[in-house]
Amino acid sequence: MLKMEGVQKIYRTDLVQTHALRSLSLEVEEGEFVAVTGPSGSGKTTFLNIAGLLETFDGGRYTLDGKDVSGLSDRERSKIRNVKIGFIFQSFNLIPDLNVYDNVDVPLRYRGLGGGDRDKRIKDALERVGLASRLKHLPSQLSGGQQQRVAIARALAGSPRILFADEPTGNLDSLMAREVMNMLEEINVQGTTIVMVTHDPELARRMHRNIHIMDGQASDFDHGSDSRSDAPVDRIAPRIVASV
Amino acid sequence: MEIRPILSALSRNKTGAFLIAAQIALTFAITINAAYVIRDRLATAARPSGVDDEDRVVAVRFAMTSSQNIDALQQRDVATLRGVPGVESVAITNQIPFGGGGWSGGFAVGNTRESPNVNAGMVFDNGDVLKTLGVKVIEGRYFTPDEIMVIDPDTSRDTPPVVLVTRELAKAMFPSGESVLGKTIYLGNTPDAPAVRIIGVIGLMETPWASVSAKHLYSVVFPQRLLQTENQYLLRLKPGALEQTKQAVLAALAKNDPDRVAGRDGLASIAKMRAKRYRGEHAVAGLLIAVTVFLLIVTASGIVGMASLWVNLRRKQIGVRRALGATRGDIVRYFVTENLLITGTGVVAGVIAAQLLNAALVRQMTLPQLPWPGLAFGVVALIVLGVGSVLGPAVRASRLSPALATRSV
Repeated sequence: MLKMEGVQKIYRTDLVQTHALRSLSLEVEEGEFVAVTGPSGSGKTTFLNIAGLLETFDGGRYTLDGKDVSGLSDRERSKIRNVKIGFIFQSFNLIPDLNVYDNVDVPLRYRGLGGGDRDKRIKDALERVGLASRLKHLPSQLSGGQQQRVAIARALAGSPRILFADEPTGNLDSLMAREVMNMLEEINVQGTTIVMVTHDPELARRMHRNIHIMDGQASDFDHGSDSRSDAPVDRIAPRIVASV
Repeated sequence: MEIRPILSALSRNKTGAFLIAAQIALTFAITINAAYVIRDRLATAARPSGVDDEDRVVAVRFAMTSSQNIDALQQRDVATLRGVPGVESVAITNQIPFGGGGWSGGFAVGNTRESPNVNAGMVFDNGDVLKTLGVKVIEGRYFTPDEIMVIDPDTSRDTPPVVLVTRELAKAMFPSGESVLGKTIYLGNTPDAPAVRIIGVIGLMETPWASVSAKHLYSVVFPQRLLQTENQYLLRLKPGALEQTKQAVLAALAKNDPDRVAGRDGLASIAKMRAKRYRGEHAVAGLLIAVTVFLLIVTASGIVGMASLWVNLRRKQIGVRRALGATRGDIVRYFVTENLLITGTGVVAGVIAAQLLNAALVRQMTLPQLPWPGLAFGVVALIVLGVGSVLGPAVRASRLSPALATRSV
């Protein structure tokens, strides 16, 4: 589903070059539920941005759903994000001026779907997350957990091949976090590949496998590598290749 | 098009949208009326005078003080002026187009009190005036030499029996459209009013005061040379001869009568007098153009400012939209559509306000009503201004990275 080989990302200013990703290689199979862990500044978000085609990269090769996405135009990348990828963000990122229905509708409009098809997808997705009765509510009228469920519905409505979740429970209390995780697991069971960045070791343990990113490289887990790092994860996937 | 969600979002941010729409409405109402006044004033200033080449026809005005024999002096002046190089023809008259001052009188189709008077300019032609001005007789005939009368106002109250009238005056006095040739009109509507017979109709001929109303083309031409000190000489010059002729003409006239006091303008072309007459119209037009441009700049700046503010406030939202699959074009379209909705609302309100303002101006300034094509042009112009103003911020918004969605900004 997702394969990166020697992917590099360098942020440049006039004076400084920062290597956010240093020849990162990894692979995620279809249907997997993968946790991406690592300390702050390790490159997790950069990885997520590149994997989700939110940013370009400077070297290496990246194949998503069998398509090399290295040289795609901005328009082509937008199209892939819209059709194949779903995003769930830590701060929900719902549009505050739009109600629940219209928020879920946003990516579907960009896909150019007809009104009837969109309506069915929106209602199905909201039904799936248990918010079918809140169509006209504004985000500000919902709890954090409900907002994240709307965000999940927005991600699901387009029937994506892969979901990228950026600390989806980071802004939720434990009860709501559990609820959201249960939902994501259910989605994964139904066949959607999920890559989730998290700081939470408990959540990481629930994944099929963990990818640990340190200093811009995917590497084998090392319990003692960083006192600020996350708690140990169960295992490191054999497909993760540390490279220089 | 995501019009409904945009309207929904706008309804939750009413103040900014309302202020911009109100500004557009006000700008529209003022600029469309200002543009119409500008057009009206400039059209007035550009009206044809009937003089075929205003740069070549010049007038010399003066007051004669020493001569006791004005008839002889006039004839000597004409002979002298005809001899000045560059002068093609010379005429003696009492008034000239755009001259500012002249004779006028009430003319009627009957010499009874019931006959309405039509006020018209009275032009005295010594037999050379129309030729010198380049004004043509379009119906009937011109005066014969024996019809030209020399009248001393101190000793005679005679009035020539035949006249020419301008086409516009003929239409006003005889609205049925019948030929006016041979018709008798009266210099006043009293039983003792002198009667004159129309022998010809001339085309356009501007009056000295060039009023804004249709009366600016009402004139009656009398075949007479008046022996008075305030007469004026009209000269038709060869092309480009104005500067070289000016001093020679004034010197020749001074030689014939050294005590003569020349008018303030000396030798002035009809073109120069036209410019002087319409200085007010041009000043009003210039002022209104400045106000209009200023208003448009302020409005465009308001739209740019508001759109830029909204882009800055929605950076995260734009990043999220891009992350969810919006192309750069989608982002530009979003802001342009949003602006079109605001501008459209403002323009609709502006059309109503413009009509109300126009109604007031029609009453106060005798302006004609705003024409619908002008309104339609204004609508298109304001919408183009709105879209043009929002394009910059919209394109900047479209260049925001979708990665903003994952940043905690």
